[in-house]
Amino acid sequence: MEVAEFRAELHAWLDAHHHEVAPDFDPPGTLDQRIAQMQRVKGILYEAGWMRWGWPERVGGLGGSPMLRSELGATMAARNLADPGVYSLVEVLAPTLIDYADPDLAADWVPRLLSGEEMWCQGFSEPGTGSDLATLSCRAVPDGGDPDTADTWIINGQKVWTSLAQYSQRCVLLTRTGTPESRHRGITAFFLDLDTPGITVRPIEMINGEREFTEVFLDDVAVPADRILGGVHGGWSVAMSILPYERSSCFWQRIAYLYPRVQRLVDAVDEHDDRAAEAVGNAFLALHTVRARSRATQHRLAGGATLGADTSIDKVLVASAEQTLYDSIRKCTTGVMELDDTPLGDVARIEYLYSRAATIYGGTAEVQRNIIARRLLELGEEG
Amino acid sequence: MHAAERALLEETVRDAVTRAVDAGASVDAVLGELGWLEMLDAEPRDAVEIVFTALGLANATAGVLDDVLAVACGVEPRPDLAVLLPRFGAWAPAAEAIDGEKRIDGLATARGATATDLLVVADDGAAVVPLAACAVSAVEGVDPIGGWHRVRGVVTGAAPVPVGADRWEAAVAAGRRALGHQIAGNGRAVLDLARTHALDRVQFGRPIASFQAVRHRLAETLVAIEGLEATLGAAWDDGTPITSALAKAAAGRTARTVATHCQQVLAGIGFTTDHPYHLYLKRAMVLEGLFGNADAIVLDVGRHLIHTRSAPTLIEL
Repeated sequence: MEVAEFRAELHAWLDAHHHEVAPDFDPPGTLDQRIAQMQRVKGILYEAGWMRWGWPERVGGLGGSPMLRSELGATMAARNLADPGVYSLVEVLAPTLIDYADPDLAADWVPRLLSGEEMWCQGFSEPGTGSDLATLSCRAVPDGGDPDTADTWIINGQKVWTSLAQYSQRCVLLTRTGTPESRHRGITAFFLDLDTPGITVRPIEMINGEREFTEVFLDDVAVPADRILGGVHGGWSVAMSILPYERSSCFWQRIAYLYPRVQRLVDAVDEHDDRAAEAVGNAFLALHTVRARSRATQHRLAGGATLGADTSIDKVLVASAEQTLYDSIRKCTTGVMELDDTPLGDVARIEYLYSRAATIYGGTAEVQRNIIARRLLELGEEG
Repeated sequence: MHAAERALLEETVRDAVTRAVDAGASVDAVLGELGWLEMLDAEPRDAVEIVFTALGLANATAGVLDDVLAVACGVEPRPDLAVLLPRFGAWAPAAEAIDGEKRIDGLATARGATATDLLVVADDGAAVVPLAACAVSAVEGVDPIGGWHRVRGVVTGAAPVPVGADRWEAAVAAGRRALGHQIAGNGRAVLDLARTHALDRVQFGRPIASFQAVRHRLAETLVAIEGLEATLGAAWDDGTPITSALAKAAAGRTARTVATHCQQVLAGIGFTTDHPYHLYLKRAMVLEGLFGNADAIVLDVGRHLIHTRSAPTLIEL
């Protein structure tokens, strides 16, 4: 199916089924409400087939370009049916399973994620491992000592910034299986059931009052060897394989989510206020620039290109566009996010404060610039 | 145009423009020999992208912008036809029709020195008038080798060419895209100068390219240029005036980003006329203002969005 045809049919379908898919609460709602809404809508869209386009047939998909997934996620974000921050986990976790899990297991698991039956999370960061992921220390050892024959692995350690683990049934977990000095060569990925004994999940309250992130403590957690993704010591390539999805469809969804925020702003400001016009224009320019870039990136991906360091440019643009937009909203609606106790103020505060993380998560703005300097500009090693 | 064919054309045009600049030859004449007008007719997007990027890269002085504008106005382009450009910083036509006269006060490219005729667009339509009927003076300004001209005069009894307001809007959009590509080429050339300097220049016992503060400035410059190029691609694909306006705004912002970061990295040598950086900076200062600088366009777009109470996504997958 062509993207334009998909878009037209999807919009017509959503218009016709508006009452079924729309949230049954007023924004912002609680995180519990928003997660339940997303899972419910995923179920409806999976049933109707929309959620299956762009995914391979061997995992229950209907095939077609991954751009169809971008389009669906973007439409859900633009219509406020699902928050792109939480929805994006589908986009980063399903491809990992498709590419690295046993094919029969992937065929069993992936539909559960797409249909909203389950949620999964991503256990990458650790207290001592932020930008420098290769230093992670959460330890996995083969039960009995031999990695080639062990049926079970035992995991001990701690993860942090694990989004939505408290709602999730499973986790793609990166562990250290080599020496502490082995860096990216000694990492193994597991697909872990979160109801396994020894796992404790503790939500972390974010700066905007919500509890999207968690800490995950692993204490002698036993995992079957067939839950290893990408082989022993093959975890780094599993982690890196997420990048093209995170930097294409997820960004497109994020961008789609931001346009209605500009709409909210242009509806709110005084027509004769040139200070507002300037702020709106600046936000719109930044957003249009990253939309143009992301569109080109996705066409390159669809044309067979391998995405790599060049997507650091997309990342810098999306983060700065998001922050520019929320700075403009703050400038044009003085007092709303600071002092308005109505839901309008709640939404403004939650979103503004969340936007401050755009230059931190998914690789900080500084790390992106380091990558651009070394890989794209070929400036040699840092001193 | 196939990718391989396009790459070959790109290389040919760049080489020819660079050689013309080095030899002090007419860039317009060289482009004419390469079949510029035929290319512009057959493959307008490839032609404009390739030629204006090459002009930016080589900091070439040319009058081919006039051909792009003439075509957009529905007038047959020719090497002896100049087009009246808006006043600096503006994009309204630089001619007013009053009592059958056209009062002209605008700018012209290097073609102001060689053309015989001038295409003048005013609110009542367009006319091709003899350039000799106007007062044409060379403008040195900040960019004395840019070939810029000021054109003034009052013209009567000119043969009218039917040109509607939508044609002028299309001409503004076409001019903005062409200038956007020229600014992108200019930015790429400056980034290359700064990158080379950063790798060559040794201080504290190591190349300054190894310092993160320097690296981040150059990275930021590349982000701006690639963002600009994406908006130009979107403007061509979309074809409506607003995406070309946004591309020109991105170009203006990019020109400032390039100047801020690259001049700082080039430091002392970039502050002298011994190094070519200053020529690129000065050209970009003029290109930035033609058909509206970034601040003016951003304000205009913002007013439009608020007036229509609409923030459309403009481009789709």
